[in-house]
Amino acid sequence: MASLVPCPHCGARPKEEFTIKGAALARPTPDAGTEAWMDYVYLRDNPRGLYEEYWHHTSGCRRWLVVTRDTATHDIEHSRDVALSQLTDIRP
Amino acid sequence: MTSYRLQTGGLIDRQTPVSFTFDGKRMLGFEGDSLASALLANGRQLIGRSFKYHRPRGILTAGSAEPNALMTIGRGGRTEANTRATMQELYQGLEAKSQSRWPSLEFDIGALNTLLSPFLGAGFYYKTFMWPAPLWEKLYEPFIRKAAGLGKATYEADPDTYEKCWAHCDLLIIGSGPTGIAAALTSGRSGARVILVDEHSASGGSLLSETASIGDVSASVFVQQAMDELHSLSNVQILTRTTAFGWYDGNVFGAVERVQKQVALPNVALPVERLWRIVAKKALLASGAEERPLVFGGNDIPGVMMATAMRTYLNRYGVAPGKDVAIFTTNNSGYALANDLEARGIVPVAIIDSRPDGNSAYAGKARVINGAFVSDAHGGKALSSVSIFKSGIAETIKVDALAMSGGFSPVIHLACHRGGKPIWSDEQSAFLAPNGLKGMELAGAVATTVGIAACLEDGANRAAALIEGLGFKTSPASFGTVERDIVSPAAKPVWNIPGIKGKAFVDYQNDVHREDLGIAVQEGYGHVELAKRYTTNGMATDQGKLSNVNAIGLLAQARGVSPAEVGTTTFRPFYTPVSFGALTGAYHGEHFQPVRKSPLHGWAKKNGAIFVETGLWYRSSWFTRDGETTWRESVDREVRNVRVNAGLCDVSMLGKIEICGKDAAEFLNRVYSNAFLKLPVGKARYGLMLREDGMIYDDGTTSRLSEQRFFMTTTTAYAAGVMNHLEFCAQALWPDLDVHIASSTDQWAQMAVAGPKARLILQTVVDEDISNEAFPFLGAKEVSLFGGQLHGRLLRISFSGELAFELAVPASYGESVADALMEAGRNHGIQPYGVEALSVLRIEKGHVTHNEINGTVVPADLGFGKMVSSTKGDFIGKAMVAREGLTSSERPQLVGVIPLDPNTSFRSGSHILEKNAAARLENDQGYVTSSAFSPHLRSTIGLALVKRGSERHDEEVMIWNGIRNEFTPGRLCNPVFVDPENEKLHV
Amino acid sequence: MSDFRLVSKPALSDRTPIVGKHISLEALPEGHVILVMGKPGAPAAETQPVSLSDGQPNAVRTAGPGQWLVVGDQPRTQKEIEALFTELGADIYGVDQSAGRVRILVHGTMVERVLGKGTSVDLAATSFPVGSATVTLIGHIATHMTRTDVFAFELMVLRGFAESLWDDLLEMCKEFA
Ligand SMILES: [Zn+2]
Repeated sequence: MASLVPCPHCGARPKEEFTIKGAALARPTPDAGTEAWMDYVYLRDNPRGLYEEYWHHTSGCRRWLVVTRDTATHDIEHSRDVALSQLTDIRP
Repeated sequence: MTSYRLQTGGLIDRQTPVSFTFDGKRMLGFEGDSLASALLANGRQLIGRSFKYHRPRGILTAGSAEPNALMTIGRGGRTEANTRATMQELYQGLEAKSQSRWPSLEFDIGALNTLLSPFLGAGFYYKTFMWPAPLWEKLYEPFIRKAAGLGKATYEADPDTYEKCWAHCDLLIIGSGPTGIAAALTSGRSGARVILVDEHSASGGSLLSETASIGDVSASVFVQQAMDELHSLSNVQILTRTTAFGWYDGNVFGAVERVQKQVALPNVALPVERLWRIVAKKALLASGAEERPLVFGGNDIPGVMMATAMRTYLNRYGVAPGKDVAIFTTNNSGYALANDLEARGIVPVAIIDSRPDGNSAYAGKARVINGAFVSDAHGGKALSSVSIFKSGIAETIKVDALAMSGGFSPVIHLACHRGGKPIWSDEQSAFLAPNGLKGMELAGAVATTVGIAACLEDGANRAAALIEGLGFKTSPASFGTVERDIVSPAAKPVWNIPGIKGKAFVDYQNDVHREDLGIAVQEGYGHVELAKRYTTNGMATDQGKLSNVNAIGLLAQARGVSPAEVGTTTFRPFYTPVSFGALTGAYHGEHFQPVRKSPLHGWAKKNGAIFVETGLWYRSSWFTRDGETTWRESVDREVRNVRVNAGLCDVSMLGKIEICGKDAAEFLNRVYSNAFLKLPVGKARYGLMLREDGMIYDDGTTSRLSEQRFFMTTTTAYAAGVMNHLEFCAQALWPDLDVHIASSTDQWAQMAVAGPKARLILQTVVDEDISNEAFPFLGAKEVSLFGGQLHGRLLRISFSGELAFELAVPASYGESVADALMEAGRNHGIQPYGVEALSVLRIEKGHVTHNEINGTVVPADLGFGKMVSSTKGDFIGKAMVAREGLTSSERPQLVGVIPLDPNTSFRSGSHILEKNAAARLENDQGYVTSSAFSPHLRSTIGLALVKRGSERHDEEVMIWNGIRNEFTPGRLCNPVFVDPENEKLHV
Repeated sequence: MSDFRLVSKPALSDRTPIVGKHISLEALPEGHVILVMGKPGAPAAETQPVSLSDGQPNAVRTAGPGQWLVVGDQPRTQKEIEALFTELGADIYGVDQSAGRVRILVHGTMVERVLGKGTSVDLAATSFPVGSATVTLIGHIATHMTRTDVFAFELMVLRGFAESLWDDLLEMCKEFA
């Protein structure tokens, strides 16, 4: 029905304005080796609790965010711009 | 039929009679009546049949928990099934029909199910219809569907409109009884933005059914005065007929407003229902408490009613429940009713109180039997008597109405919608809201506060605290003394009543009775979640509002544990049913999804285009000419004309992205698998984008307009995805690169001009020299047009394999420029062509699209192995594209395929078998990804992904369509059917 | 074909404006819309767009971190736009979107109620005052929204979606028009 996601630039917005990419993982270096790359591309944790995800404010400011979401309660603990984090950290 | 309407009293307008029909019979009510109160006033107690046993049923409640009085309202496209008569306001000409009966309400064949009831007990679906399986479809399911009791939806289109909207407030107050009104006055006076919602047609809640007075005025006058003040405050929004049905993440509440459900012919400028999403800084739940039925034999016979409901019909609607009324109660609620009945001249024949000590404060005339129970009610379509059980001695009393009160359950549903578990309280004999709710507080009866005075105070205090927490200055509203306030504290619940002989119902709507729960426990389904599914208790549209707690109490006793240990099932939205219309809002029909129109839409239309939806775009499929009777005729003509003369195709919907910055070239070098760093200014290059797993993501051409500015095109389908992907790369992966990305898809009208005469035509509008020498293949530049009148971008790229250009001009000039090109090309035979012809042309040329780039192919599979740079340090997909399995020689590779006999054909999706192999999955060699009739070859041709395909040109194969059982002998071949040497591109 | 008479066709040329007591809807002239992209937080990027605008109120609107839209009713020639891009300086880039984005003006006392049917943004003047701008979904269509006056909002939408947004707005206005 409804879920509001806090965007550090635009304020709380409904989830329909966003695109979710999944786990916010650091991209390995090109020579990190097969195992690191297999992990990055295919393997995901499935925690009950806090999880960092990439969310894109597609129908808004078009910035990529790192959203820390509780998978059990859907509570969003933290949301920041992936590149401008110092400027934009917010905790709702 | 006798009128049960009292001569005076109630909040109805006796000057305005309202005519309505029930099952075709004309009746009269008054303005202010609910359908239920009007039916009762007309002496109509039997209003429906039950779901499973088709037992006669009457009106049980006066609110949204009603399980029995579900009716079909309206006619034609406005027919609405399963409307609760207790919530439906009466209007002039209302048509109501009973449900769950055949052929008529009075005589119902399904009632024979009662005789079959030993077979219809708990788990009967599972037991009876397990075997033999084939009978399920033919016999059982049709039978169940016919017997199943809910109303039928209409097949006619709904003529009305619906809408969705957002609202924002500091404080949302849910419920406008004494608690909600006190909270609204307190917070409204502070200047805070307040929204007060109530599911009923009028604000006031239980106060509208009260005989108490508040500060020297009657409860209903008090409500009037309070609402007048609230209406005068611009910061307070009052939504009646609005059910808050769900509590969601971010403190958003869903609510549905029945804007025009109380009128026969809605105003077309207004929606009939409005779906609200209310964003509240804080919410106060003042939803009150629901009275619980008592589980005795025949507790469903018409004439048995909840005590508070009877009080509402008496006080608010001026309707007498009957002549001989008995009251069966476990608490003081029954005495409030007894007093009110006596005041209206109806002295109850008996008050049966389960408490040994009863209510010592009662001073009325009714006979009180303490420590007693009603074990059975008797009657068929109407109540005739009740059996009283006291210390093993039975007594039967003649009655025509029986009120019951088994205590109260706080209406905590919304408080549990975000995952919190309700907590059982032995002291309150009820489930209470979870602790530690964020953004919501409870006040009044839902928080176990009892009595009007206490609820007023609680509402005011809690609202003041919430509003002060948000930075507003306020003090709790205060009120005058409450007289005749009947305080009904929690009393010991009675789950198992002694001496029962008849069927004692727990869930009225799903026909679950006491013994069903016993069977569930006996058969090992005693866990609350299992019992619910085994017996279907609480699974009807009322979601167990009246039945869940009684079921849990009975399960607890059967298992010998406390209700706390049994626990409760999960509360989920919606609190009451919400129509699909409201959930859809305005987004249906033409508004279902946005339409995206090309700037050349008008041009295409006037040239005879037949449009096709691709994503949100409307694209030209083909352009019909006079005399053409099939689409193939048009497409074949368009294809031939491009190969012989020239064609004009609208390619505006290709994604177009502007990429600027000092590091723009480096950025492109990392997002494409092939090299872009050294792309010269004025040149275009075909590029492949991979995913990190090495598969191809998208393709397109990118041109360098200046040292720090590039112009990328993407496929139509992936335009949005590529833009998101590029932003991800720029922002998340390489934020240190100086690169700026802007979508410019909508800025440009883009036209492909293709064919041997393309240059001749284009040169007439382009000011610069576009000869092969001045502007060779893969040239890209900004050009002046029409003698300097306009500025555009010209690319020399080709999808068809012919000499071709793509010209982009500012979108608003698109149609005019296309007109000019058609005019300039008339003598050269120019014709428009659509995406069908475009597709044929590209298959003939062996160009791939997302039919081939289907998420399973790496560049080498398509013959693009050389486009994977081995020298670049990094690019998306580099690490994974070379891994084992993606480099195997057994991989499917792009290949052409043609039928041996050009008079035969095949379809995309068909599979390739070795010539003599059996048609089995293990012999599968690959599949046809694209196919078309080629006017050039006068045969069907196809592209396919086939194992080792590039080595198997000229091999004879069988093309197998397993779904249609078609076999077409064919031959694999070079995927480039036209001009394999690319001579035409360079003329 | 330098004698060919080129015609510019506005995206909403066949839509009729509505003028009501409480709500009005009109398509604005297709003048100029220039997207300016700089480094988020860099002071030059903040000030540059203003100097390039036509100086009208709300001529410069924020469009996400480090991005602005310079908007006006008068079309600008290719030469003017190129000159403007040059003036922007080394680290700031412009993209001409004059034909790619269409502006619609919604105004009237009921404007907040009308737009509240589409966007989740709290439009109360206390939280979205005059001069505020943001991108949000109006129904299903991403829209750049600017409050230009107490009862007036300008909506800027991709050209391809302009008719669709207009048609949705008509429905949203119906009860007040
Ligand atoms: Zn944002």
